Amino acid sequence: MAEFPRPSPLPDRDTAPFWEAQNNHELKFQRCTGCETVRYPVGPLCPECHSFDFEWITSSGRGTIYSYTIVRHQTHPAFAPPYTVLLVEMEEGPRIIAQLQASEDARFAIDTPVHIEWEDHPGQALPVFVLDS
Amino acid sequence: MTIRNKAAIVGIGQTEFSKDSGRSTLRMALEAILQALDDAGLKPQDVDGVVKMSANNDIFEIDLLRSLNLSNLRFFHEIPHGGGAACGTIAGAVAAIASGMADVVVTFRSLNERSERRFGQSTVGGGVGGWGQDKIPHGLVTPAQWIAIFGQRYLHEYGHTTEEFGRVSVLCRKHAATNPHAMMYERPITLEDHQNSRWITEPLRLFDCCLDTDGACAAIVVSAEKAKQLKGTPAYIAAAAQGTGSRTEMMTSYQRKSLARLEEAEATAAELYRTAELEPQQIDVAEIYDHFTPMVLMALEAYGFAEPGQSPHLFREGRLELDGDLPLNTHGGHLGEGYLHGFGHIVEGVRQIRGSAVNQVEDAKTCLVTSGTGVPTSAIILSKEAY
Repeated sequence: MAEFPRPSPLPDRDTAPFWEAQNNHELKFQRCTGCETVRYPVGPLCPECHSFDFEWITSSGRGTIYSYTIVRHQTHPAFAPPYTVLLVEMEEGPRIIAQLQASEDARFAIDTPVHIEWEDHPGQALPVFVLDS
Repeated sequence: MTIRNKAAIVGIGQTEFSKDSGRSTLRMALEAILQALDDAGLKPQDVDGVVKMSANNDIFEIDLLRSLNLSNLRFFHEIPHGGGAACGTIAGAVAAIASGMADVVVTFRSLNERSERRFGQSTVGGGVGGWGQDKIPHGLVTPAQWIAIFGQRYLHEYGHTTEEFGRVSVLCRKHAATNPHAMMYERPITLEDHQNSRWITEPLRLFDCCLDTDGACAAIVVSAEKAKQLKGTPAYIAAAAQGTGSRTEMMTSYQRKSLARLEEAEATAAELYRTAELEPQQIDVAEIYDHFTPMVLMALEAYGFAEPGQSPHLFREGRLELDGDLPLNTHGGHLGEGYLHGFGHIVEGVRQIRGSAVNQVEDAKTCLVTSGTGVPTSAIILSKEAY
């Protein structure tokens, strides 16, 4: 049976630079040049001060687990359980979603420190999180 | 200007709830609407307003209008945000009636959620745009998975175990067990059954997730004056409100300060109680939207029945049972009766006020009905008296 392809992000005019940076293995956030708020998800307007002006900053790739779910029931043909999806609070403030890459007996919890590594998928690289050693 | 008791629900309709309706969502919507109009003593030609949930995207409004031959419409609106819209359709109807833009407004929800597209399954392929583009490619695909992230924070912040989720499910299944309309009629579960049910997406088990259902519901809203001329017992709408929170996303508002509270439900509650001039303690029955058990706990807190993190005590102390001070989901809710995107809760709320529910709460004068959480939401308070 042919492997069902993983759904890939469909960049739009606002999000294209974010996804292009990921293909260079960089996680980028927008920082408002008016009030310096770092915002995420990507969007054209600062939700705090409503300025359209921003610059892209590069994340350190480090953060801590804010929440997570261990998926044990298959809901999509491209994702075979079990797998763990983390919500990680990055050092820059935003929380992002990505899978945990770890052995099945790895121990982790909310507040465990993690860092990003990159996985190249057809057409799009995506981050995964690895537990800090 | 207040909308308090300016309008009433005077007709309700409901198809059977099943795993396979064998007919179209349009057909079921029409059956429920005609039943609701008949219940109210009204005819399709009396209808001059329709407020529809945008999630009914498989029913084209034009087909509904043609089928019922609704040639007298003055008001037709659509409410966004999935299950968060259910009571929002009532709010839209009330706004139209109170402002004189309509007199008889139809609201409804129709779903073949079990036999056609199941919300808990996805086959999305190719490119994912919009709000899902940074979640779905990581395997966070379904509502259960999105909500599990909130549920995990709730357990972490308040030190609870998943048994507290289980108590929500056990109570809804208990009420469904004595409701012949319920998919889980005569099928109660124990806390042990909940703990032994298989994991779907930790910390959610099978029995933490709502049912998959085919069916339809409808409700007819008219002005309080018109309600007095009609045959049945009106359920006056003491308040109807919608609400939003900060940094809103579709069931994934993960950037907001707390993931263990429901900002949009708190905002809706404040507006609701202000309009109704009631306190939470004056609510006799609560029909709380139950797509996933953790959200019921958070909603009970948002609507003022417990402090944050404290709603599990309401279950432990028996206060949400039929003989308690706040009977909850008397029909069995989405976890026991069937998943009609919050519309089964509205229909049951009307029955409780009429005194005609199968699990009737004695002397119910006020009923809170809430809609989907994790999205911009809505709620109503129904009242026996137009005070």
